[in-house]
Amino acid sequence: MNSRRTWALIRFGLTTLFLFVVWILFSADAGFFSLLFGFFISLLSASLTYHIFLPEHEANLRFFIPRPFSLIRFFILMVAALYASSFQVVKAVITGNTNPRIVHFRTRLRSDLARTILANAITFTPGTMTLDLNDDHLTVHWLLCSTTHAKAAGEAIKTRLEHALGRTWL
Amino acid sequence: MMIVREILALLAFVIGTAFGLVGMVGLFRFKDPYSRLHAGSLCGTTAVFSYLIALLLLSPSVASTLRMIILIVFFLISAPTGSSIVARFIWESEDAERQRSSMNREDKSL
Amino acid sequence: MSELILQAMLYTLTFFAVVTLIRLLIGPTASDRLVALNVLAAVSLALLILWGVSTKRTLYLDVALVYDIFGFLGFLAITRFLKKDKEES
Repeated sequence: MNSRRTWALIRFGLTTLFLFVVWILFSADAGFFSLLFGFFISLLSASLTYHIFLPEHEANLRFFIPRPFSLIRFFILMVAALYASSFQVVKAVITGNTNPRIVHFRTRLRSDLARTILANAITFTPGTMTLDLNDDHLTVHWLLCSTTHAKAAGEAIKTRLEHALGRTWL
Repeated sequence: MMIVREILALLAFVIGTAFGLVGMVGLFRFKDPYSRLHAGSLCGTTAVFSYLIALLLLSPSVASTLRMIILIVFFLISAPTGSSIVARFIWESEDAERQRSSMNREDKSL
Repeated sequence: MSELILQAMLYTLTFFAVVTLIRLLIGPTASDRLVALNVLAAVSLALLILWGVSTKRTLYLDVALVYDIFGFLGFLAITRFLKKDKEES
């Protein structure tokens, strides 16, 4: 009971902090009254929504607090993957030979946030587009398919991203 | 300093225009909606991202530079989310289409 | 020089918008129209930011930020609506 209350307090504090940072970013105003108003508003909305923003079953801080350097590395990796995958699609448009196919595979990331970001990042890898994310089961449309075997397809698509994400969140 | 920024912005602009033009060609060349989504959405995202980089290099003041950085980060989050929503819609509508056609086939066999 | 780049950007973005509008109008199925709409949303976001930078007013950037964050909620609503329409028919 006591540990649950502590965990709820930690989640409440994190939600308040996040909302306050967003308030400062969006209002772009460091005056005293603005900061006070923003703090009370974020306290109020955090008390109403913290159990939705950070669900109780995510029982580890590493599930949603990233490591900053890995986050920056992941960001750079994603931008590089964006340009590389666009280049692949450009080649496919010019030559006109595609091999579209739908593949299924599983991920071993555990937190909801990391899975969602993996699903978004798969859209940035060459010729793939996420269709559905259900627990740890991903459905992906692959434009330039080279294999139909589920495990091989998963390895080819997600390995690098999953490593980078696993270093960032968990 | 301004010259370097302008040259980099010009480079980003040229790259973005090239990707965008190929994406527009792909939007008309491919036949099924999935491939159109790949061409249009991915090349469109890259083109708009390159343009945003160019505009970031040309931005006139510090306030607008900060806002542009937040905008670029949110664009990298929201663009794949939007295309995922569209892809899922295509998947479900094709699923419904296939079920309807298989039901028609069963009707004919009867 | 930078005015020239901004001008050229305005023309190319308008060209992209017109091309995607053609796809939006002639697209045979609802899926094709949604694909075109997805590209058009990104292009219009870039147009808003371009206008904000070339007139040197940050107000347009704020509008673009809100449009960027809540833009995909529109897609969610449209797909939900079309799905319900299909189930009823």
